[in-house]
Amino acid sequence: MDRDGAGIPKPAGGGLNASASRERLNLSKISIYAVLFAGVLIAVGPFLWMVSASFMTLSEVNLTRLLPEELLWENYATALRRANFLDIELTTDPGTGALQSVGISGYIWNSIRITLISVCGSLLVCIPAAYAFARMKFIGRNFLFAVFLSTMMIPGIVMLIPHLLTVIWLGRLSESLFGPAGAWFNNWPALTIPFFASVFNIFLLRQFFFQIPEDLWDAARIDGAGHPRFLIAVVLPLSKAPIMTIITLGFIGSWNALMWPLLVTINDDWRPIAVGLSNFVTSDTPGDLNLQMAASVITVIPILCLYFVAQKQFTEGIAQTGIRG
Amino acid sequence: MLNTRRGRILIENLTAYIFLAPAGCLILLFGLFPVAFAFFVSLHRWRRFPDEYVGLANYEKALGNVGYILFFWLGLLGLAAAAKIGKRLFKRQEQGTAGRPALAMLAGLISGYAALLALDWFFKLIPVIMLIPRQVRGQHTSLALFMEKLGESFSQPDVLAAGNLMLIGLLLAALIALVLLLRFRQEISGPIVINSAVTTVLLIASVFSLRLTISEIEAALASARESGESLPIWSQLVFISAGIALMALAYVIFQRGIKAHENRRFALLALGGLALAVGGYILMAEAPAALAAADDDLLAGFWITIMYATGTVPVQLAIGLLLAYLLFQPIRFRAFFRMVYFIPYITPFVATSIVFRVIFDAGQYAPANRMLTIVGIEPQRWILERSSIGSLLGLPDFLAGPALALIVIMIYSTWTYIGYDAVIFLAGLGNIPGELNEAARIDGASGWRIFRHITLPLLSPTVFFLSLVAIIGTFQAFTQIWILRTGAVGSKVNTASVYIFDQLQNSNRYGYASSMAFVLFALILLMTLFQNRIMGRRVFYG
Repeated sequence: MDRDGAGIPKPAGGGLNASASRERLNLSKISIYAVLFAGVLIAVGPFLWMVSASFMTLSEVNLTRLLPEELLWENYATALRRANFLDIELTTDPGTGALQSVGISGYIWNSIRITLISVCGSLLVCIPAAYAFARMKFIGRNFLFAVFLSTMMIPGIVMLIPHLLTVIWLGRLSESLFGPAGAWFNNWPALTIPFFASVFNIFLLRQFFFQIPEDLWDAARIDGAGHPRFLIAVVLPLSKAPIMTIITLGFIGSWNALMWPLLVTINDDWRPIAVGLSNFVTSDTPGDLNLQMAASVITVIPILCLYFVAQKQFTEGIAQTGIRG
Repeated sequence: MLNTRRGRILIENLTAYIFLAPAGCLILLFGLFPVAFAFFVSLHRWRRFPDEYVGLANYEKALGNVGYILFFWLGLLGLAAAAKIGKRLFKRQEQGTAGRPALAMLAGLISGYAALLALDWFFKLIPVIMLIPRQVRGQHTSLALFMEKLGESFSQPDVLAAGNLMLIGLLLAALIALVLLLRFRQEISGPIVINSAVTTVLLIASVFSLRLTISEIEAALASARESGESLPIWSQLVFISAGIALMALAYVIFQRGIKAHENRRFALLALGGLALAVGGYILMAEAPAALAAADDDLLAGFWITIMYATGTVPVQLAIGLLLAYLLFQPIRFRAFFRMVYFIPYITPFVATSIVFRVIFDAGQYAPANRMLTIVGIEPQRWILERSSIGSLLGLPDFLAGPALALIVIMIYSTWTYIGYDAVIFLAGLGNIPGELNEAARIDGASGWRIFRHITLPLLSPTVFFLSLVAIIGTFQAFTQIWILRTGAVGSKVNTASVYIFDQLQNSNRYGYASSMAFVLFALILLMTLFQNRIMGRRVFYG
C-alpha cells in the first residue's frame, strides 16, 4: 500500500526545495548523531572495557590494553569461586550414584532468594492497598494517602537506626516464637520485610488503577462480583505493565542494595551480591583486577538481561513517575 | 441489613481497611514510627542498648550552640504552623459549612491529645522493652520467658500510668467519633476533626520542644557558671535569629521591589540590600562562635556535601537536557539511544565503580593518566589524591575546592545519573504541544530562540522536579562514595551521610548518629522549602 505512494511523482519545483532542506538537515543531523554516539560511547564504554578486561591476564589489565590477546574464560570460573558467588554442591549416594541433595549457596543464590521474596511480598502488600486508594470510598482515604506519601520524604539515613533496632527486637520476638529459623537479623526477614510496603509502588499502581474505566466495575457489580473478585479477575490482568515495572524496579533495588545489607548481615548465609562484590573488591585490593572485572560482569548480566526484556515499560514507568535509587 | 445502603457503605469501608491493613501496618512500623523512634534515640546516649537520657546533648555535640538554636526555631515554626491551621479552622467555621463544628473540634482535640498520650506511653515503654534482649541473653530463649519479660515491662508503674491515660484518651476520642458518625452523619466534616487534631499535636509538640530547649539552655548555662565560664547562648540565639530574620526580610523586600513601580523600586531594592548585608554580617560574625563546639567532621561533611551537590547537579542536568533535546529531534534509533543511556543508572554501583577505579587509578598506565600525558600534563593520583583541586592548580587556599578524589566521585555520579535525567526530560519534552513550536517557526524564530523562549519555560516543571530530586539525592548519596573512597584520602570525601553511617557502623554511636541524621533531615527539608519558594515561582505550568 505504502509503495504506491512512493511512486507518485512529486510536484514540480518540489525537488529543489527538498534537496536544499535535505542538505541542511544532513549537516545538522550529522552533528546530532555525532553527539548522540559520543554519549553512547561514554555510557557504555566502561562496560565494554569491563567485559574486555574480564578476559585479560592481570598484566594486560594493569597496562590497560583495549583488547586481550586471548580470551581467558577461566577468569570467570576463578572469580565465581574466589568471590563465593555461586557454589553448587551435589551430594550423591555412594552406592547407587543417585542424586541425593543439591546444596546451593553463594551470593548470587542469596540475591535471587531475596529478590523473589521481596518482589512477591511487595506485590501482595501493595496491590490491595493501591486498589483501596484508587477505587474504594472509605473514611479517611485522603488523609491516609497523604500520610503514606509523607513517608517518602524522609531520608533513608534517618530511618536506618530505628529500622535496625526494630529489626533486632522483632527478630528476638520471632526467634523465641519460631526458634532460630525465625530470626530476623542476618536472615531474610530483615532484608526483605521492611521493603514490602513501598509507597512508591502503591503510588504507581494507584495511578494505573485510576484509569481503569468505571464501566468495567459497573458490569462486574451487575454480575455479582465484589471488590476482591473484581481486583483479581479484571484489574490485575489489565495491569501487566505497572506490575512489570514494579518487578523490574524491585529486582534492581534488591540486586543493588548495599547499605542496609551491610548493617544487618554478619556472615554469608544471606548476604546479597552487591555486598559480596564489594567485599571481594575491598578484600584484595590492589589484587587481581581481571577477576574483579569478571565478577562485576557476572553481577551486571542478570540486571542487563532483565532490563533488555522489560526496558520499554520500565523506562516509561520511570518517565511517568520519576524516581531515584 | 447488608443490602441497605448503610450496609453497603459499611462493607465497603471494612473491605478497604482489610485491603489496607498489611501495607498500613508495615508503613506504621517501618515508615512513621521510625521517625519518632529515631528522635527518641537521639535524645539518649545509646550504644546498641539504651542508656541514660541526655536531652539535647547529642545535638550540642554535633552543632555546638546552634543545636539549641535549631530546636528553638523548630518550636517557633511549629507554633506558627499550628496558628496557621487553627486560623483556617476558625475561618471555615465562620462560613458555617459544618453542622456541629464545636463537637467535631472537640473530637479532633481529644484524638490529637490521645495520639500524643499514646506516643508518651510508647516512649516510656520502649526503653524497657529494648532491654529485654539483653536480659534474656545467655539464658535459654523460650517464648514463655520472653512473654514474661514483656508482661513485666508493660506493668512497670510509670508505663502503666501512661498506658492508662492513653487508654482513657483513646476511648474518649473513639466515643466522640462514634457519636459523630452515628448521630450527625451528614453534617460531620472530616477536615475539621483532622485539622483540629493536627493543630493540637503541633501546638503541644512545639511547646514541649520550646520548654525542652529552654531548660536545656538553662542547664548548660548553670554548669558553665559553676566552672566559671560565660556561655553566651542567649545572645547568640538572639543575634542569629535576628540575622536569619533580616535575611528573610531582605528576600520579602526584594520580591516586593521587583514588582514595585519605577521610583519605589530603587528604594526597596536598596533597603533589601541593606537588610541582606546586615543580616549576612551578623550571621558571619556570630556563627563561628556558636559553632565553636560543633563536630568538625560533621561540618566538613556538610561542606563536602555542598561541593558535591554543586559539582554534580548542574552538570548532569545540563548534559541530560542536551541529550534529551537531541533525542527529541526527528532521528532514527531513538529507542536504542534511550535504552543505552539508561544503562549506567540501572547497573549496580558496586560493579561499575570498579571500572572507574581502574580508569582513575594512580598508575601511569591508567586511562585518565594516559590522556593527561597525551595533553602534556603530569599523571595524577586521582582516587588516591587527598589534596584539593585548588592546591594542585596552585590557587590560593580559599579557592581550594574539593579533593581530587571527590572530583572523581563527582564524575562517576554524573555518569550514572545523566541517562535518568535524559529520560525524564524526554518525557517532559513529549508533553509540550507541537503547535507552539510550529507557530514560532512560522513567525520566523530560530532554533535557539524556540528552545529558549518556548521549550525551556514549558519544560520548567521537569527541570524543577529533577533538580529537587537531584539535590535531595546528593544529600543522601552514600553508595557511590562508600565504594569509591580509599584509605589514602581519609575523610576528605566523607559527605555528611557517609560520616553518619561511619559513626553508626564503626563506632556504634546510635544516639549521636540519630541526632546527626535529624540535622541532615532538617537541612533537606529546609532546602526543599527554599527551592519550592524560589524556583516554584519561576516554574511555568503551561
